[in-house]
Amino acid sequence: MKFWSTLLLSLSAVSGVLAASSAKETYQKYQSLSRSGPVSLDSAAFEELTKAPRDYYAAVILTAMDVRYGCEMCRQFDPEWNLIGKSWNKGEKPDDLKVIFGTLDFDKGKAVFQKLMLQSAPIMLLFPPTAGPYAKVKADPVRYDFTGPMSADQMYTWLKRQLPEGQLPALNRPVNYMRIVSTVTVLMGAITLFTVLSPWILPIIQNRNLWAAISLIAILLFTSGQMFNHIRKVPYVTGDGKGGVSYFASGFQNQFGLETQVVAATYAVLSFATIALALKVPRMQDVNGQQLAVFIWAGVLFGTYSFLISVFKIKNGGYPFWLPPF
Amino acid sequence: MAQSSPLDIVLKGSSGQSTRGLLRIIILLTIAAAAVASRLFSVIRFESIIHEFDPWFNFRATKYLVQNGFYSFWDWFDDRTWHPLGRVTGGTLYPGLMVTSGVVYHILRFLTIPVDIRNVCVLLAPGFSGLTALAMYLLTCEMSTSPSAGLLAAAFMGIAPGYISRSVAGSYDNEAIAIFLLVFTFYLWIKAVKNGSIMWGALTALFYGYMVSAWGGYVFITNLIPLHVFVLLCMGRYSCRVYISYTTWYALGTLGSMQIPFVGFLPIRNSDHMSALGVFGLIQLVAFAEFVRGFLPGKQFQKLLTAMVLLTFGLGFGGLVLLSVSGIIAPWSGRFYSLWDTGYAKIHIPIIASVSEHQPTAWPAFFFDLNFLIWLFPAGVFMCFQKLKDEHVFVIIYAVLASYFAGVMVRLMLTLTPIVCVAAALALSSILDSFLTMGRPDPEALAKAGAEDSKTLRSTSKPVIGIYSFFSKLTVSASVTVYLLLFVSHCTWVTSNAYSSPSVVLASRLPDGSQHIIDDYREAYYWLRQNTPDNAKIMSWWDYGYQIGGMADRPTLVDNNTWNNTHIATVGKAMSSREEVSYPILRQHDVDYVLVVFGGLLGYSGDDLNKFLWMVRIAEGIWPDEVKERDFFTSRGEYRVDDEATPTMRNSLMYKMSYYNYQSLFPAGQAVDRVRGSRVPAESPQLNTLEEAFTSENWIIRIFKVKDLDNFGRDHSNAVSFDKGLKRKRAAKKKGPRVLRTE
Repeated sequence: MKFWSTLLLSLSAVSGVLAASSAKETYQKYQSLSRSGPVSLDSAAFEELTKAPRDYYAAVILTAMDVRYGCEMCRQFDPEWNLIGKSWNKGEKPDDLKVIFGTLDFDKGKAVFQKLMLQSAPIMLLFPPTAGPYAKVKADPVRYDFTGPMSADQMYTWLKRQLPEGQLPALNRPVNYMRIVSTVTVLMGAITLFTVLSPWILPIIQNRNLWAAISLIAILLFTSGQMFNHIRKVPYVTGDGKGGVSYFASGFQNQFGLETQVVAATYAVLSFATIALALKVPRMQDVNGQQLAVFIWAGVLFGTYSFLISVFKIKNGGYPFWLPPF
Repeated sequence: MAQSSPLDIVLKGSSGQSTRGLLRIIILLTIAAAAVASRLFSVIRFESIIHEFDPWFNFRATKYLVQNGFYSFWDWFDDRTWHPLGRVTGGTLYPGLMVTSGVVYHILRFLTIPVDIRNVCVLLAPGFSGLTALAMYLLTCEMSTSPSAGLLAAAFMGIAPGYISRSVAGSYDNEAIAIFLLVFTFYLWIKAVKNGSIMWGALTALFYGYMVSAWGGYVFITNLIPLHVFVLLCMGRYSCRVYISYTTWYALGTLGSMQIPFVGFLPIRNSDHMSALGVFGLIQLVAFAEFVRGFLPGKQFQKLLTAMVLLTFGLGFGGLVLLSVSGIIAPWSGRFYSLWDTGYAKIHIPIIASVSEHQPTAWPAFFFDLNFLIWLFPAGVFMCFQKLKDEHVFVIIYAVLASYFAGVMVRLMLTLTPIVCVAAALALSSILDSFLTMGRPDPEALAKAGAEDSKTLRSTSKPVIGIYSFFSKLTVSASVTVYLLLFVSHCTWVTSNAYSSPSVVLASRLPDGSQHIIDDYREAYYWLRQNTPDNAKIMSWWDYGYQIGGMADRPTLVDNNTWNNTHIATVGKAMSSREEVSYPILRQHDVDYVLVVFGGLLGYSGDDLNKFLWMVRIAEGIWPDEVKERDFFTSRGEYRVDDEATPTMRNSLMYKMSYYNYQSLFPAGQAVDRVRGSRVPAESPQLNTLEEAFTSENWIIRIFKVKDLDNFGRDHSNAVSFDKGLKRKRAAKKKGPRVLRTE
């Protein structure tokens, strides 16, 4: 009795090993390939890696790295993807949890893209294991959505949710020693340079006109909506649909890059005219010259303000006020 | 030149001075009256009512304070919000506003003026705006010797829309008193720096403490004053005045601010406050160095001393950074941090990014809120560089910093407005002063006077002469008058059109021009108050929490005090999931009624379906596997509500509640959503676990009752289809979940 059961057990074990052995080999093959980062795959390798009996997870990113395809996101994300692969392979993880990270470039794997009917890149697919302790019933790959920031952290938290719970390796961004050293060097250099050149630099730094100019430019930039451009990444100009260019965005909550520059320039002209009237004109010695200057500056002020109001009327249709010329 | 006229008696000499003083007081009072009056549009058009969202909580808290006294207000635990958690309200609010109106109320009562607490609350903001105008006058007078600058600044501040937007009657929010406190604290600070007196420094600290009790924006003062001192030190302008005023302010002000339970130990533990502490340390070092310098004659020693000060400061700074990295000092609070790293909030704190007043400011908003002050502002800042005394440095720093903040966040336009008024008044007064004098300058006499001090801007190196021709005076003063008149009408127009609607009550115009009031919010809230049990729990998106608490007096799950992100995400999940998922959530949280805002019938764009994506995003932040933003967009990436809406969208509770029975208003197949401008599916969504309880006149508010468990133990979809008389679908075969066989 005991003999039979032992025989049976060993037999079943052998058959199981036979079935799993091919999967194991595949795993070991790719595992050895991916010492440092994700494995670079081609169509055949992809097929082999994602073949049905597998006792490992396969996370494959399908991308198009060549400049020809103009996939900005692919190139942007590639170092992040390598970072994930590297962190995983180097990190401490449960013994029986196997994950292979792979990269399939469009140039090498057109067939795969056609087979999966993919129109866009990058796409990240996670193939769960079909055998072994973490086997899933649904062997279909899970697809990761590239929304939000293109950072390894975000994808890695997603991956962690897909993988079984346990002690998973942390994402490990390598310390950029080069950068630290160069920063320190540059800093030291700057300090030294400053100390040496201080007799020449100090008068510039202590120059009131310079600081006045800096403050005014900063204020003009901020009050003309530059921060909005920076945060919302608005276009500089857009077409108006008829082949022309529309300089002013429609709507009160919207603006274009060029538009804010026009507005900043308008403010600058208005401010300068005010400064001229308030500070320069009363200091003029010449009687007729002063009269002329007053007329010119007051005229500039009036005209530009009228222009500003007319621009504002474009933005806010219901605005009831206006000044003559525009 | 000196022609005598009958007016000379009142304009010259000592009687002239008192006449001017009297005129000044009259003008200031008129400005204050104008400031109050221009904020009363909403009371006159609608009624004396509290506006918007947050003010409803402040109002409710004030009522509690007036009824139960100060001590129980301090210990108030509110179990009617954040059900089932509750909120330690006394320890999590800024009590300054409520206490102020409580004091006003009791004083009026003491004077036997029978006044309702609601009217005190409604009119508090306009009243304080009058005070702000006065404080503005004082502040600007410190900046300029010109007699007109202060009055101009007060007038600008009184009616500038940037400030009116937060202080119309009924807008009973912290900012209502905080801006007055801000301006007044700055005035006292300038006074302290100028005089170097402990008294002014202590007064600054006192009003700073009041400010801390009133508004979270006190951090602005906490950082601006140290920055001012720091810049003064860097400019080599250390003086005993600065030392005395700063140390007095810091020591007393920090102690004062720690008395507010909500602030507590933040001033010594939070990065937001560390600059104040750092500058405090630095100024001690500098003072010590200055002291020692007196005894050290050698130049080498002085160099050594400077190096030592720099080194100690560097070490201290490094230590601070280390402490905050290691977590002993709390890192920057999210709201404050998102001002510097502008992309931060969108990724990490969607709840901050979701609020519309935290969006960046487009340029029209600046012009809308400040009109011609916006271009006088840089000119005024430039004029501060002329003399560049300590107080002018303050104006420049404030101007640059506040314009950056206002550019990043719409809401901070409020802190920009005061300094814009100061700078614009400086610029305009300097024009008016030279162009509005009757006398004609004598070039010969003036030319001899010679240049003023040499250390000034290039444009002002020559001596002031004056304006010769009467005609140029006329031109400039006439055009300035035009601008001023335009400014006044602009402010009035903006106030009346943009900032005076209570947003609880909506107004529209009928074709014949008459006003039509849409009062759905209050209709619905009073329905809740009249028809539901006193402790019925209402679930809604957090925007409406304070209003439900204030007007309907019912417990809510979440409200505008967004302290618990998970709880808000729970509500978001319930709204964005299928009924089968939502119902257990609703049951677990004892929800009796669900309230949604739907603007489709009226074209009211601020409704819940437009805010829906934020609910999804916030829920996704907590349950990324169960709620996915992607599922609410069609394959082409559009947010649709019509026939092409995704199944997730159409099965979400929010969608179902919004469009439930909506189709019955229209002829078959022609139901239209006027907000999103699309045709709604012909068939009404089916609700199994909720039933419609109330829909307001214009369908803006819809209230649904959560059904109890079925009496026969069926699930709700079966019960509903049974009630409809549908034949029960027979399940072909009882299938258990598929399980992987493992041996």
